[in-house]
Amino acid sequence: MSKNENKGPKKKSKKYILISIASVFLFLFIWWLYTDVFKAVPANALPSPIKVISTFFIKFVETKPEGATMLQHIFSSLQTTLTGYAIGVAVGVPLGICMGWFDKFDMFVRPIFDLLRPIPGIAWIPVMIVFFGIGLMSKAMVIFMTALIACVVNSYSGTKQTLNVHLWVGRTFGASNLEMLFRIAIPSAMPLILTGLRVALAASWSALVAAELLASNRGLGFMIQQCRVIGRPDVIIAGMITIGGVGALLTYLLKLLEKLLLKGRKNI
Amino acid sequence: MMNNRYLRVFLKIFSAIISIGAFLLIWHIATNGTKLGELMPGPIELISSLIKSTYTNIGKYTIIGHILFSLSRVLIAFTVGGVIGILLGTAMGWYKTAEAIFRPFYEMIRPIPPIAWISLAILWFGLGEIMKYFVIFLAAFSIITYNAFAGAQAVDPVLIGAAKMLGAKDSRIFRSIVFPSAVPYIFAGLHTAISASWATVVAAEMVRASEGAGWLIIQGMEMNNMIQILIGIIAIGIVGLLLSIIMRGVEAKLCAWSKSGK
Amino acid sequence: MQTNIKVEVKNLTKSFGDLLVLDDISFNVTSGEFLCIVGPTGCGKTTFLNSLTKLYSITKGSILVNNEPVNLKKHNIAYIFQENSTFPWLTVEQNVSFGLDIKKVPKDKKKENIKEVLDIVGLYAFRKYYPVQLSASMVQRVSIARAFATKPELLLMDEPYGQLDIELRYKLEDELIRLWKKTNTTVLFITHNIEEAVYLGDRILVLSNKPTKVKESIDNHIPRPRSIVSPEFVKLRNRVTELIKWW
Repeated sequence: MSKNENKGPKKKSKKYILISIASVFLFLFIWWLYTDVFKAVPANALPSPIKVISTFFIKFVETKPEGATMLQHIFSSLQTTLTGYAIGVAVGVPLGICMGWFDKFDMFVRPIFDLLRPIPGIAWIPVMIVFFGIGLMSKAMVIFMTALIACVVNSYSGTKQTLNVHLWVGRTFGASNLEMLFRIAIPSAMPLILTGLRVALAASWSALVAAELLASNRGLGFMIQQCRVIGRPDVIIAGMITIGGVGALLTYLLKLLEKLLLKGRKNI
Repeated sequence: MMNNRYLRVFLKIFSAIISIGAFLLIWHIATNGTKLGELMPGPIELISSLIKSTYTNIGKYTIIGHILFSLSRVLIAFTVGGVIGILLGTAMGWYKTAEAIFRPFYEMIRPIPPIAWISLAILWFGLGEIMKYFVIFLAAFSIITYNAFAGAQAVDPVLIGAAKMLGAKDSRIFRSIVFPSAVPYIFAGLHTAISASWATVVAAEMVRASEGAGWLIIQGMEMNNMIQILIGIIAIGIVGLLLSIIMRGVEAKLCAWSKSGK
Repeated sequence: MQTNIKVEVKNLTKSFGDLLVLDDISFNVTSGEFLCIVGPTGCGKTTFLNSLTKLYSITKGSILVNNEPVNLKKHNIAYIFQENSTFPWLTVEQNVSFGLDIKKVPKDKKKENIKEVLDIVGLYAFRKYYPVQLSASMVQRVSIARAFATKPELLLMDEPYGQLDIELRYKLEDELIRLWKKTNTTVLFITHNIEEAVYLGDRILVLSNKPTKVKESIDNHIPRPRSIVSPEFVKLRNRVTELIKWW
């Protein structure tokens, strides 16, 4: 058996890449055999991989069966997510930093935050729908609640983890409390704040799907929900791939931002 | 110093009472005979209904019954997801071949939120229990696999070198060194996974169920019964908190030797 | 006489709860003096410096700088810590600039000061680097440069070379003496290394074990540059060693 070792990495890694490729192709082949060739699985439960791929591309121009093209759904989902997420970040990050820095503020806000924290964002869906109907607002509010918690938690612990010795440097130079917050605590909390942004975005995207499954007339979650009702698993799988792809892309963009903002901190 | 500590605890409790009291008071005033009050119950009404719901049925069960239903779904799927996730994750972290075979699929599945599987799961497994187990399983599995994988990869090479020098076999090293070293990571994963599973069961029940915490709130929405929704949310929050506290307790006990287990 | 006293420590007492750490310490530091404070490990040397800079509150007694209570906003004090205290998110240059930024030093003056201290510690070529890209000794030199850039009237150093190997320490000690002579700063240098104290100090303050008291103050008139093998050096070093050994 092979070990976690770097002996002759080039030759070995080439071998493993081949294994990976073979394993994916084997999987796709078996999938294809059982659907298109043997017809062992009913097509309304699992379509063939070829069908899924063709549906995926067709959906970019075709509005059938549920009434909008893939891009329209993506746009709608992104609009909802980013609205809620932006508000969540704009409120959550400063709130978390203030809670982490100002003890008195923390004493009074923390108890209420601790009450809200264990409630998953998606549990707010019914409340928001009753308040705001099934439009963009209700879903954006659900995403806001989801993003808020991740942003507050990470900004809070980031601020709290500021090293004493860094604060002491500021203090002996005669920095005021606010100068120490902006020049020391926030920069040193930055890595965790950015992690929070990433966690919050992933959670928001997942909450969006849940909200769209339940109440929507546009969006990727709506699309897979409708196609479940009319029995079109090819569109569902194409939709899931899109959801995963867009989610991965969003995460990737935030990672790029992280790299840009934290340059120099790690020895890359 | 001693006095100081008591004073601090006292201040903490005192400020918590004040802030939560103020929150309840504002809520009470905002809903008492106002327009908002037609949509939202006040805190007193809500608390009394919450107490009442522990002995009167909503739908088929009391609120405790619904919670237990959701919990049993979580525990079954979480256990299966945990076992498979730990095995697959540590195997991928230690055996390069296992990583080469499974990692591509894992990386493809990982960015898809478990909730997005609900539609497909309904087509595959119908509207019953298996559909819910499957979705919760995915939530737990993907987190735990990831952590177990990271844990097995982060094993201290010095320990492995020492074991090799003593002539330990590969499978022995895996069992005695790699796996135990990954345990703190695995527990951190279990902790995250239990919260994610709990959120997922709520989502799955909201989409399709006839009992459980998620059903409770979605049913409340359909009947325009804000009290029922809020009771459900409170119950969901309390259980989520308890699960997290239990996991943290287990983690602290079992991983006391590890830095990352604190 | 009064005007010449930079720091006046009167009856300084500090306890954490029931634990008495500093017990009634009194001494003066004259302006421009290089005072080394030595004592056994764990005797509360760091607590002493932290009390001086108000990072800890004082239980009893007072510390006067220029005849008034310490005011970090008014008095120009710099502190070099034992552990790495550079900011990882700032470049070398930005780190050195930090104290000057806080003190709102005008731009051209700031630039001039930074160039000057970076030249002295030999890091001007590395000014765009981040601390993680530097070695431990370079990082400590960044801290030293940051402290000297503000031209402090009082410089506190808490075992700044504790983590470094001997060769680098010698080098940095000489560098420190050069900077000190050039800037006329008053320096309080804490160390547990007796040789280092004898090498650097105009005066050595020997502290006792906990609860910490001043055991003795020894003037050190050995002319600089000092040689650590000269008889007078060895004699003084042995004297301090004896003092620390017999508490």
